[in-house]
Amino acid sequence: MKGTRTIIQVENLTKNYEDLVAVDNISFEVREGEVFGLLGPNGAGKTTTLEIIETLRKPTSGKVIVDGLDIEHDSWKVKSSIGVQLQDSGFYPDLTLVELLKMFAGLYQVEIGDPIEILKKFSLEEKNKSYWQKLSGGQRQRFSLATTLIHNPKIIFLDEPTTGLDPQARVNLWEEIRKIHAEGRTIILTTHYMQEAEELCDRVAIMDQGKIIEIGTPHDLIEELLATGFKRKREVKKATLEDVFLQLTGKHLREE
Amino acid sequence: MKNKSPNQIRPFFSIALYSLIALFRNRATVFFGFAFPLIFISVFGLLGSNGTSITIGVPDGRGSGPIYQALSRIEAVSIKKGSEKDLKEQLSQGRLAGVLVIDKNNSPSLFISQANPQQAAAVISMTSGVVDKLNLKLANVTNPVIKLDIEEVSGRKFSFIDFFLPGMIGFALLTTSITSTSFGLIFLKKTLVLKRIFATPTKGLTILLGQGASRMVMVLLQTLVIVLVGVFVFKFTLVHGLFTLTQVLILSVIGLLSFLGFGLFVAGIANDENTAAPVANLFVLPQFLVAGTFFPIDALPSWIQPVVSLLPLSFFNTAIRKITVEGLSIDHLVPQFIGLAVWAVIAYILASRTFRWE
Ligand SMILES: Nc1ncnc2c1ncn2[C@@H]1O[C@H](COP(=O)(O)OP(=O)(O)OP(=O)(O)O)[C@@H](O)[C@H]1O
Ligand SMILES: [Mg+2]
Repeated sequence: MKGTRTIIQVENLTKNYEDLVAVDNISFEVREGEVFGLLGPNGAGKTTTLEIIETLRKPTSGKVIVDGLDIEHDSWKVKSSIGVQLQDSGFYPDLTLVELLKMFAGLYQVEIGDPIEILKKFSLEEKNKSYWQKLSGGQRQRFSLATTLIHNPKIIFLDEPTTGLDPQARVNLWEEIRKIHAEGRTIILTTHYMQEAEELCDRVAIMDQGKIIEIGTPHDLIEELLATGFKRKREVKKATLEDVFLQLTGKHLREE
Repeated sequence: MKNKSPNQIRPFFSIALYSLIALFRNRATVFFGFAFPLIFISVFGLLGSNGTSITIGVPDGRGSGPIYQALSRIEAVSIKKGSEKDLKEQLSQGRLAGVLVIDKNNSPSLFISQANPQQAAAVISMTSGVVDKLNLKLANVTNPVIKLDIEEVSGRKFSFIDFFLPGMIGFALLTTSITSTSFGLIFLKKTLVLKRIFATPTKGLTILLGQGASRMVMVLLQTLVIVLVGVFVFKFTLVHGLFTLTQVLILSVIGLLSFLGFGLFVAGIANDENTAAPVANLFVLPQFLVAGTFFPIDALPSWIQPVVSLLPLSFFNTAIRKITVEGLSIDHLVPQFIGLAVWAVIAYILASRTFRWE
């Protein structure tokens, strides 16, 4: 699945907001077909970095190439070829899911066939006549993912896709993300859940205060840390509280 | 730059169609665009219908004689009966224009009150006109020295609704263009709907044009509904029928194009829904009150008329009444169009200076 071709190239990217340096001269690349995680504490600059690549914000300096296209000179082509799930975004609250899908098909200028089929893929088919404002948080995230994929993009950006979801919904969304990945798409995601990064990501970059301080596969990064003689304060048990929770409440999605 | 944006036709129609659907599901928009004008028309259309008539009280048992008969034949006069005491009481409250008491010798006395000076003046001139005519007749003067020639110019019969309804079309247009547009844009901005749309290959201008197009459909429907309800329920006069209706619809679109700039401007200077309300009202309410919605601009104090007649809504209201009352076609409305165009240019310049997508 993982190729070696570079599909996103970020070089010396900097973004200043007045006197705050939100992104400080970072460089990294994402390879075709991988799941790339951008990790870091609040305010590290993850969203800013993603939204620059998505052409939603202008960089102060630096160069970004997405699938051979320079984001500065080819922003329209970039927009058409990537799928975007923003950390915070909204949809017309008074439109139904089917109407919203048709609208986004129009905006991306693609034919989508039966919208219900798309909703089915995200376990939302029963909600097809619901207004967006009536959806739960997890349903909104899944619906947002549906609009992200509507034009069948090769590259997908997911900014904190599982924040605020219950463990069932999170596990369910991981499944969706794995399916999308298995279709051969490249995925760049951010998350505050390290377990999630470990489950999903082929490689992660760790950001802090606008800088990338480490890049590697989760396995390598853990090995590196252990090589320094790091020891957990307490041996971990063979199960976590999350396992207990899922065991007790079952894995099926709620809210339907 | 070689950055070529994709064709925007499909995104435009998507935005226009789905904004329109959302607009019709928004209670405030539907209320101010349709329900509010129709409620006003019902209330004022019924109240205002006898606004120009004069009511004269005649005590019970005195309703005879030539003066009484001549007066009651005048179309604008209605007679109210009752005891002399009650009638005089009502007169002092301004509810009657005058009370006419005719004694047994056929000698009339007219009582008036300063509670309603205009009505008093009208009743005096009417009654003395009738009395003078009778005097001439009794004196056998068939050929008086001065004779007033009255010639009737052909005209249509207009009622208050014919004045009032066009003003309501103007009001509905103004709220849809300014209040609904500015609220709509600020709402989409705040709820990050716009941000999500900007992640698709859709230009900002396409979004604005799509929003404008949805308002245009809305305004055409509003005008159509108000006119049709007016015609079928309140006997509103469409001078040249379908032709006049078409002219009114075209004018509504022109009005919308002019007023939309103010909607964008309000969306530009107000940061959230809370400031949008007072700012939008600043544009809508004063015009609603003075610019010819409820009464003609001529009825205002003369020093303020020149200012008021330059308001955007005044141009629209003047233009629409020229179509519906005078039966003119829109090619006679050049001065009003120039007025609307000047306002449009001012509004769009202000809007482009203040409007921000973020
Ligand atoms: N539009 C803006 N104007 C000014 N400062 C901003 C703006 N957007 C972000 N910032 C600042 O830039 C820094 C990076 O923000 P960013 O949203 O990229 O962080 P993040 O890593 O996504 O954080 P989180 O995990 O909380 O989502 C923060 O200090 C933030 O306050
Ligand atoms: Mg973020």
